[in-house]
Amino acid sequence: MDKERRERLIRTTGVHLAMEATETLRQVVEEFPDNPRAMDYFYDLFRAEYCGGGAKKNGAMRIGMLCVQAPEELIRAAGAVPVRLCSGSHAFDQAGAEFMPAKACSLVKATLGMLSLRTAGGAERLDLVVNPTTCEQKKKAGELLEDFGYRVHHLEMPPAKDSEEARIYWQRSVKKFAAVLEETTGVRITKQRLAKAIRTTGMARSAYRRLHELAKWPRPLIRGKDVMLVTNAYFFDDLDRWTAAVTELADEIEQRRETNLPGAGKHAPRILFTGSPPIFPNLKLPLLIEQAGGVIVVDEVCSSSRLLHDQVAYDEQALYDMVPAVADRVLKPCTCPVFLSSQDRVRRLLDLAASFAVDGVVYQSFAGCMPYALEQRSVGQALVNANIPMLSVETDYGPDDQGQLSTRVEAFIESLRGKARKRA
Amino acid sequence: MRYFAGIDMGSTAIKIALVDQQGSLSGHTVVPTGSFFQKNTLEALQLLLRERGIERSDVAYLLSTGYGRKLLPEADETISEITANAAGARAIAGSAAIRTIINIGGQDSKVLLLDADGHIRNFVMNDKCAAGTGRFLEMTARNLGTDVGELGNLHCRSSGAPLSITSTCTVFAESEIISLLARGHGKEELVAGVHYSIARRIVRLARQIGIEDRVFFDGGPALNSGMVAALEDELMLQVVVPAAPQLTTAIGAATLARTAWIDTGEQVNA
Repeated sequence: MDKERRERLIRTTGVHLAMEATETLRQVVEEFPDNPRAMDYFYDLFRAEYCGGGAKKNGAMRIGMLCVQAPEELIRAAGAVPVRLCSGSHAFDQAGAEFMPAKACSLVKATLGMLSLRTAGGAERLDLVVNPTTCEQKKKAGELLEDFGYRVHHLEMPPAKDSEEARIYWQRSVKKFAAVLEETTGVRITKQRLAKAIRTTGMARSAYRRLHELAKWPRPLIRGKDVMLVTNAYFFDDLDRWTAAVTELADEIEQRRETNLPGAGKHAPRILFTGSPPIFPNLKLPLLIEQAGGVIVVDEVCSSSRLLHDQVAYDEQALYDMVPAVADRVLKPCTCPVFLSSQDRVRRLLDLAASFAVDGVVYQSFAGCMPYALEQRSVGQALVNANIPMLSVETDYGPDDQGQLSTRVEAFIESLRGKARKRA
Repeated sequence: MRYFAGIDMGSTAIKIALVDQQGSLSGHTVVPTGSFFQKNTLEALQLLLRERGIERSDVAYLLSTGYGRKLLPEADETISEITANAAGARAIAGSAAIRTIINIGGQDSKVLLLDADGHIRNFVMNDKCAAGTGRFLEMTARNLGTDVGELGNLHCRSSGAPLSITSTCTVFAESEIISLLARGHGKEELVAGVHYSIARRIVRLARQIGIEDRVFFDGGPALNSGMVAALEDELMLQVVVPAAPQLTTAIGAATLARTAWIDTGEQVNA
């Protein structure tokens, strides 16, 4: 790409990105009357990151992750900072369209677009990009990044997760990744360093868990659009600051419960969100759900609960036990549809639907995302059998289906109201 | 006497229905949408009220629905046309046990699956383009130099096999229709072909959620007998078409307005 065109592309994309981020933040902040005060930290964080040229980064090495499957504990133990690269920007989606077929998934195209321009969202300086070999599109995107000049490590993943062979394969793959990390940063992953990384990320995870558990309260105390912003912030925010901000938020939410100050009406239908991940600024579908009067009380997406739900469990403080434990944390509980069996995801959804007393499920598939589209039928059938209504939505990062989607989402929420009223 | 108004602000026409306290229909009107939703709606409402001798202050609750539902600040509440359509079919068909509703509107089409009580169990809508909607019929009529109201007659007069229209995009189909006409094909077979193409498309959509007997067909295009015949062929089922298929959603909204008013009253008294 010649220099002048590249500069123009960077400038125009930057303008578009700031426009869409501003609009999403406006909807998230201004269209709801009951935002927790502690959310201001996150609103400001996104405003600075997307509308104000990005927050200042410290001098540590930065390792980009193309998926939730890369064990962040190892990256931190090697003295580097992990950055989740998956992008939710329509502007980057358009910039990335030239590298992928037209029908490819928005998320992959947007991530490629962001990385091709090296301007924002954490792509300015990356010492290594780790590409877990999940779906076809991400695999090929990882290869393209090498052409862009990034140093890429392909973290090989098994196509199944339940067998012992898969587990051994994955553990060997993770060990190899640890060696690549040490070579990149020049820092040895010792048991002390890994224990510290497991502890600090574990504290972040338990802060998130508190928020997650509070959503079981019969009257919704916090909206999904805020929870998704919190979990999205984990992609790039400083770990300790993030944990402190989430703790403060959970304290405030707990206060709401004690003073019986609910975040939304008690007749608001409770929604479980699943499928392709909503990533800022593309919070289109979650916002439509909550603008229509529903509340997302829980989700099963890799940009939110799947990112933060599980803890590392090891018995002995020795690397031969800790590294496999870190590997297991990523593989075993993962309900991504790239794996052979969809049983675990179905089980997880039924379990979440029951424990969070949801009235309905919204299933998002990005146009071009085969794995999620393929599982939609079996998930839908299992939910029908459990008497839980599901709305399936195929969408992308473009704004042009907004009007039509709002009608569908409103109708779905209206159809759940009777159920929600009976429950309350 | 109190009245309740349901206003269905569609992309092609504005439909207004009034019901009284007993829930019986006491007036209705259909006017073209035009460019000024709010102004045209209020004028149509005023005219209807004057015609029926009803004061504006006797309209206790006004519920708007349809594509332009949010553009009417005078409405007490808005509701999606999907919920309103199901309520309308319930009100009109009564005990006829409708399980599927097929609605073709001006720029979208949808299929609703109902449970035994007439409540929505599942629904699908077409994707973001105008193929298989009323727009497609308007475009066909325009190219044939006729009125949309004539399409049914043309279809019924056709003697040969319906022509196959392969384009699903309204824009491409337009050039396909022009070239079919240029090649000397009959208008009648062409119109029948257009109806089958729309019917096939909506039946494919309906199969995504399943089709259960009985099927209720509404929306403006249900006035077209050719469209009804093609749909019945593709569904391999007989469909129920209400006397005024354009009005189902407005009647549903008016019925829901009445329920909403009664519910509010109960809350006030409680």
